Amino acid sequence: MVTVVSGLINVLIIAIYATVAMMIGILFMGIGRKIVARVHNRVGPPIYQGFIDIAKLILKKTNITHGWIYDLALLFSITGIVLTILFLPIGGVKLLSTEGDAFLVLYLLAIPALGFALGAGASGNPNSAIGVMRALVMMLSYELPFVISMVALMIYYDTTSIAEIVASQYGKWAILIPPFAISAAVADMALQGMLMEAPFDIPIAPHEIASGPMAEFGGKHLGSLMIYKAGTIVAYTTLFVDLFLGGGVVMKGGIVADVVNFIVWFILIFLVFTLSLLINTSFPRFRIEQAFKFYWKYEAVLAIIALVWVYWMVIS
Amino acid sequence: MKAKEIIGRGEEVHGRLYVKVEKQEVRELIKTLKENKFQHFVMLSCIDWIDDGEFELVYHLWSYEYREHVMISTRIKREGEEMESLHDLFPQIETYEREIKEMYGVNFIGNERLTPFFLEGWPHMPPMRKDFDSKKFIKDVFESIPPVEDEDEGI
Amino acid sequence: MKYEEWSKISRIASKKSLWILHFCTGCGAIEMPPVMTSRFDMERFGMAPMATPRQADVLLITGYLTVKTLKRVIQVYEQMQDPKYVVAFGSCPINGGMYWDSYNTINQLDKYLPVDLYLAGCMPRPEGIINAMMELMEMIEKGEARGWEKYRKNYEKYKKNQEMAFKFGKVEE
Repeated sequence: MVTVVSGLINVLIIAIYATVAMMIGILFMGIGRKIVARVHNRVGPPIYQGFIDIAKLILKKTNITHGWIYDLALLFSITGIVLTILFLPIGGVKLLSTEGDAFLVLYLLAIPALGFALGAGASGNPNSAIGVMRALVMMLSYELPFVISMVALMIYYDTTSIAEIVASQYGKWAILIPPFAISAAVADMALQGMLMEAPFDIPIAPHEIASGPMAEFGGKHLGSLMIYKAGTIVAYTTLFVDLFLGGGVVMKGGIVADVVNFIVWFILIFLVFTLSLLINTSFPRFRIEQAFKFYWKYEAVLAIIALVWVYWMVIS
Repeated sequence: MKAKEIIGRGEEVHGRLYVKVEKQEVRELIKTLKENKFQHFVMLSCIDWIDDGEFELVYHLWSYEYREHVMISTRIKREGEEMESLHDLFPQIETYEREIKEMYGVNFIGNERLTPFFLEGWPHMPPMRKDFDSKKFIKDVFESIPPVEDEDEGI
Repeated sequence: MKYEEWSKISRIASKKSLWILHFCTGCGAIEMPPVMTSRFDMERFGMAPMATPRQADVLLITGYLTVKTLKRVIQVYEQMQDPKYVVAFGSCPINGGMYWDSYNTINQLDKYLPVDLYLAGCMPRPEGIINAMMELMEMIEKGEARGWEKYRKNYEKYKKNQEMAFKFGKVEE
């Protein structure tokens, strides 16, 4: 009986946790539009615009479907992103944990993107097919420099657990160690690709391929897609903050420390997201082969330099 | 004008060379001009001279070297006369001929692509002919379509 | 929760987030960039341009329509998801405007599609567009913009009218 109750409580906590994360993501989408508008010297929508948009889409009267793969692929994406968020420490607190979860997170991050690709492929729109192809090439491109940066961290802190990486950074963030400044710069550009912000908004390019994978989405499906997008914002920025900015942990012990850490985490992911938006508003779009070349030629080389430097620091 | 030296005929109108010819001579003239650096075929236009019972076809050519404009004009009867297609000289003539066939009903022998172009499923006479009564057509076609009235005024 | 309250929430959400699909057929398209950019900024009302009909709520028809374009407009309209609104922009979709006696301009758009809001002018200024959109928002909140229901209800009549236009009046009874 006690195990059942505690299990239910755990489920409840996880549900609240995931919901809060999604809410933060949706809020960030609104804030993001506001920031972009201010950069364009416009007023911009209210910051709660994301909630209105999603409510409107969910409440649409007709929802055209393109078969069960199209319906389920979105669930697949949202599940993947929720699972990723649960495996990431937020303000030092995490709900699910295993040994070597840095690798697990890397795998989990591929699931939502694949689900998205599956749904877009099932919609049968040629623009979607082009967009999915571009999205997969982008994934292949940004993962190499990102993984190399992560490996550098793993070597330095001698662990494959993100929680331990976060714990080791208490008092001294990784980004303050010279080689990891390079790694962080590399990972930030990879983050730009993950969030599909310019100059790497190649897969969704609305002016070229009519928003690519999303071309056939509407109504509830597009609403779910926006929730998924909100989840990716939280997941990817949290991953970056956990790896390089100490996960927002500034205090230890007690419920007060948890609250403070949570606030610091919120500010940090907001800063990372804002940086990504400022890059987004300042640059035009790459072509897909330029993006590929950028990641594999320049970013990967920088990441390897940082890796060698870290290795040299560790053995000497 | 250089064009006048090349073909040895025509008169200058507003800085352009205007040549009136018979329809059999058009091909030879355009060929000569093309070989003498009049490499840009600008357009083919058609005028309906309904009182004379004739269509006037005007071929416009331009030279980048001499910066001169040549208009070669020929007249054919409105009814029962056809023009030879010249799309082997400049490929773009094919499209102009297609348009004129659609809008005026002039037939071009040798052009195999005279299919409907702008007007989809057009059942009447070519609309740019001057005897096409546009206002009557509007009245018969678009104004005769009834507006959709809803019985239930609530919607 | 009662249906009425629920549909009211849905209408308010719909009103505050109008996603527009521009069907840029005529000269009206040139008035849209100022409305979107920093001078007039329609995004402050939650309006945003969309790339495909599936995502959009408002079909903005900017300019005259020929019979050939009408076929495409109807395809686009039928791809959109309910609730959807049509805004006829400029004089041409109202009565043909300066092209009223052309052989190929369908003069009144609302014989073929249910138009929720007309925006007169040749061309309407960006202020006019913003004003029209505010008007549309009010209509949505009051539940007056119900062209999509009218289209569903009178589908047969609309189809018949569309067929007559496509065949230029030569339809067999």
